[in-house]
Amino acid sequence: MTARKTLFILFAVLLTVAMLAGCTGGGAKFKVGMVTDAGTIDDKSFNQGTWEGVKAAATKLGLEYKYLKPSGTTEADYLKEIGNLYDAGFKMIVCPGFKFSSAIYAAQTQYKDAKFVLIDASPSSADGKTTKVETNTVSIFFAEHESGFVAGVATALQLQTGEVGFIGGMEIPPVQKFNWGFQQGIKYANDNLGTAITMKAENFVYQGTFSDVAAGQQLAAAMYDKGVDAIFAAAGGVGVGAINEAKARAVKGEQVWIVGVDVDQYADGIWDEAKTKSIILTSAMKGITKAASDMINLESQGKFPGGQTLTFDAKNDGVGIPATNPNLTADVSSKVAKVFADLKAGKIVVSAEQGSLFK
Amino acid sequence: MEAFAEPIVEMRNIRKEFPGIVANDDVTFTLRKGEVHALLGENGAGKSTLMSILFGLYQPERGTILVRGKEVRITDPNVANALGIGMVHQHFKLVHNFTVTENIILGRETRRLGVVVDTAAASRRIRSLSERYGLNVDPDARIEDISVGMQQRVEILKMLYRDAEVLIFDEPTSVLTPQEIHELMKIMRGLIAEGKSILLISHKLKEIKEIADRCTVLRRGRVVGTVDVAATTEARMAEMMVGREVSFTVAKGPASPGDVVLRIEGLDVMSTRKVLGLKGFSIEVRAGEIVGIAGIDGNGQAELVEAVTGMRRAEAGRILLKDRDITHDPVRQRIREGMAHIPEDRHKHGLVLDYTIEDNMILERYDQEPFSKNGLLHRPEIRRYAQGIVDSFDVRAGEGVDSLARSLSGGNQQKAIVGREIELDPDLLVAVQPTRGLDVGAIEYIHKRLVEQRDSGKAVLLVSLELDEVLSVSDRIAVLNHGDLIGIVDAAATNENEIGLMMTGVRKGEVA
Amino acid sequence: MKIRIRREYVLSLVAVLLGLIAGAILMLAIGSNPLKGYLYLFQGGLMSIKRIGNTLATATPLILTGLSVAFAFRTGLFNIGAAGQMLMGGFAATGLALTLETVLPRPLVLLCTILGGTLAGALWGLIPGLLKARFNVNEVVATIMMNWIAFWTVNDGIPAYVRDPNQETQSRGISAVASLKADWLTSLFPGSYINLGLFLAILAALLVAFLLDKTTLGYELKAVGFNRNAAEYAGIKVNRGVVLSMMIAGALAGLAGVVFYTGYATNMQIGVTPSQGFDGIAVSLLGANAPAGAVVAALFFGVLQSGKGFMNAMTDIPPDIADTIIATVIYFAATSVLMERIWSAWRRKRSAKGAAAPAAAGKEAPPPASPDAPAAPKGGA
Repeated sequence: MTARKTLFILFAVLLTVAMLAGCTGGGAKFKVGMVTDAGTIDDKSFNQGTWEGVKAAATKLGLEYKYLKPSGTTEADYLKEIGNLYDAGFKMIVCPGFKFSSAIYAAQTQYKDAKFVLIDASPSSADGKTTKVETNTVSIFFAEHESGFVAGVATALQLQTGEVGFIGGMEIPPVQKFNWGFQQGIKYANDNLGTAITMKAENFVYQGTFSDVAAGQQLAAAMYDKGVDAIFAAAGGVGVGAINEAKARAVKGEQVWIVGVDVDQYADGIWDEAKTKSIILTSAMKGITKAASDMINLESQGKFPGGQTLTFDAKNDGVGIPATNPNLTADVSSKVAKVFADLKAGKIVVSAEQGSLFK
Repeated sequence: MEAFAEPIVEMRNIRKEFPGIVANDDVTFTLRKGEVHALLGENGAGKSTLMSILFGLYQPERGTILVRGKEVRITDPNVANALGIGMVHQHFKLVHNFTVTENIILGRETRRLGVVVDTAAASRRIRSLSERYGLNVDPDARIEDISVGMQQRVEILKMLYRDAEVLIFDEPTSVLTPQEIHELMKIMRGLIAEGKSILLISHKLKEIKEIADRCTVLRRGRVVGTVDVAATTEARMAEMMVGREVSFTVAKGPASPGDVVLRIEGLDVMSTRKVLGLKGFSIEVRAGEIVGIAGIDGNGQAELVEAVTGMRRAEAGRILLKDRDITHDPVRQRIREGMAHIPEDRHKHGLVLDYTIEDNMILERYDQEPFSKNGLLHRPEIRRYAQGIVDSFDVRAGEGVDSLARSLSGGNQQKAIVGREIELDPDLLVAVQPTRGLDVGAIEYIHKRLVEQRDSGKAVLLVSLELDEVLSVSDRIAVLNHGDLIGIVDAAATNENEIGLMMTGVRKGEVA
Repeated sequence: MKIRIRREYVLSLVAVLLGLIAGAILMLAIGSNPLKGYLYLFQGGLMSIKRIGNTLATATPLILTGLSVAFAFRTGLFNIGAAGQMLMGGFAATGLALTLETVLPRPLVLLCTILGGTLAGALWGLIPGLLKARFNVNEVVATIMMNWIAFWTVNDGIPAYVRDPNQETQSRGISAVASLKADWLTSLFPGSYINLGLFLAILAALLVAFLLDKTTLGYELKAVGFNRNAAEYAGIKVNRGVVLSMMIAGALAGLAGVVFYTGYATNMQIGVTPSQGFDGIAVSLLGANAPAGAVVAALFFGVLQSGKGFMNAMTDIPPDIADTIIATVIYFAATSVLMERIWSAWRRKRSAKGAAAPAAAGKEAPPPASPDAPAAPKGGA
């Protein structure tokens, strides 16, 4: 009974705070909704990154916000949740992931007075024949290859010598671009910054899912046994398995590293009691959080870039590695910052294609 | 006997109801210290219910229980144990891959340092108990490796280990060989000599006569009376139990054998333990005769029956039914050729317990007209057929043919099976333990039906562990020992002693 | 017979009620109003024609996987492989649809996809059936393995043969010619995903009921399921029964794949195991393993799953709690056997105290005809 009361009071306080916050923010009031992709809201990756952006912007602006979790991954499942949000008055809806492509294609004409943000894809019809970004929709892409490149440079500089590997989830463009960018980053450091890192084709693999934790652990174990020092894991749940393996080895005294993906995964890699050591060397970040919050801010200012396809890259600080990297030396961090500046200035160009790289 | 010994257990005016039936109605009886007291009654008379109440498995609606003169409430078996009451169930409750000791101490483990189960000490105690009561049980043997009779002794030891003073035996001889029964009687006498008191649930008059001091007879939940066994004839007790006069002898005229129906030549069959369980067995069964197979359990009967009925492969030899080689025919084919089989285990093989009686009656012929056509069941015909069997074989069930087979009493289940098999109108009827666990009335009935079959010109192969049954029903008797055919004798010209000797492997004529 | 089935349905209803009550307690614990929550939950599933259509569409594959599991259950087998059978059914149907949609007229395309998918599912059930019959491999293990084989087959097969030119991880979209969505049906439930699969599912339920109750095959399979030994004794070919039964269960799940991937979905994605495969187990349990029960249970699950999102949208109940509520209902359904035991134990206690004699017979109570063998079921069980 008391627990319930406490909860109730807490809830009431929260409501009041939310209402007060609502009063202070100016501009148009609207409700922001999000539909999650496969996986949970705390996936340390896409869903979580987007949700944090939605939360940050909506809290700041005093907007009501909410996410829904579809029961499957089909267009129908997604559209049902979009419909639920719409029916409940959420007229701005953020959807992370390429799987939303056909659902948003349908929704943008079905719900003309709603605004849609589609991350990592452009709206296209179910049969794939038509692609159209309506004026109530923004389609957002990221330059994952640039992110992978910077992480690659940072990894090479910190290790100086040794071997690196890559574990991908599904073989889809965003993951491939991370991979290719990472390889180019290692090569760039070897060629221009005096590092001697080796890469073998056998250590660049796609597991095939974003969910098989056990498989991720096995793949990572195999690579470490073969002498790989750092693994770039762009693989969702599979990456979690790789991180677990690295942590287990670190506890036993081995020096192994994981390069995180999408968000700053440093905290996920902490393995000691004192919480001071992490096996996450750095993370190849994608500004999902920033993208989501930017769009909400723009909408509140009446400047929603409907109909456009935006790319977040180094130039607009949409990709990169975290601001602080406890596992990188200051020297490495400053060198990486210089490379990042060159990238921004266009002095370095990273290819988004496979070319002669490992697949 | 200490005829005037003080009562140790008294049950007064016990009433227990189950939905739709009064299982015990105003039952009163007294167990005196140091006596063997039998509870006699047909299946369904309420014996087991009464004992389940005493053992704490059921609570009576009315009545009181006194142990050593004090009124008690026995709410569960633990309370019963604490009062010194132990029960050997009809179906043993043993863990098969545990040792004797582990089974006995299960739930009563003495622990060293609070963690380690002290089996060594328990094993020592069990050994000394076993010696004291002449049970001859090896405390370290695994249950799966010892005989049924030995398993029963483990159950007895379990009670002794728990310091039971009153021992309830629920139909203890139903699973035993004649030798084991003999041994059990000895053990029971030993227990009495050591000051224990025994309650024996049984419907076998012979063993009650042999071991019991007094006998309380139950019929339809009520006490008919308590008698002094020594002063009462078996016939009188049977009459009290059944409510009418019962004949013990099977009435039958001489057999008039006709053509050979079943011919077995040099049959070898593997047992489940991958050794030859039946070796070079040959026999002929003719139309119009009953051939009994006698032997101690596990001497090749199961192998013989399964090979004949098609449930087990023959390694060598031939089986001919009406001169047709059926050695390699599947089960269904043999049934169609005129074989019927009353299986030993009615729950395991005889019935689909979750099917209705109606469905069970067509188990072997659902795919024949008129019961089905083009793969579709024809319900009205099935119902009429099942109803016919239920009526003519006096199968009593609460909801008639719609009753689940599970809900019938053992006797009625068996009558249903016998009816089904006889209705197949077979040339050969293989009847295995057809009266196992049934009461006198039902046994009488089934024996009559078997003889009827013979008289109508069928061949009957009767396999039974009850020597009395084999002797009284068969025309000729084949005796098995260790998978060998010891000999075939004429039932009219032999006796229990001769067969008993042959069962132990002594061939006819070898006796000096 | 009739009484027994009704009893099981009562148990299922009690299970649902208890699940809903448990869900209500959960909602209270997080400070939400359960009445409102359930109002929105059921509104979400039923408040408009479109939503009813979507509820029916959601229930469609569940009916079929529920039937698949129930059928196997009735014949003594545990089919955990509905998900894999569904994937293979969907894979075959998608492949056929995308290949034939430009060549054949619509009725023929649909016939091919339906038959092809059903057969593929049957094949996926046949293999564990054969393994069980031949080598006594536990069908639970075998079907789980088959799920993974199906998963990776689809994973490699979709990109290799029918991939979407823009997206490596999914097949091309299925055109209106090959889709189970029909204009006349969609126009009855505008904007919903209802499709012809619903009729296939109901037809399948009728067929399964017919097969189980009216045919000699059903008689044999049930006998094998209830008592293998007795079936063997009566000369029923037990192994044939096992194989057939797994095939039929597989075919039903394969058909679920057809209706899901070419009716409800617009294409086939890789890397996703359809949750309907496992939900089928819950549907079957809740539906007392009977065809009609499976249909009703699937519809109920359909309401819950389509209404869940609206409840989330209208209240402060987080989606994960909504999932928990649904899981609670399933849990109670799955443990209805346990509840039956508790119920009869309670009844026994009551009767022991000399209270009013209860009317209904419990499984624990001895059968009326044999009060002398009350200890037997315990020993024999």
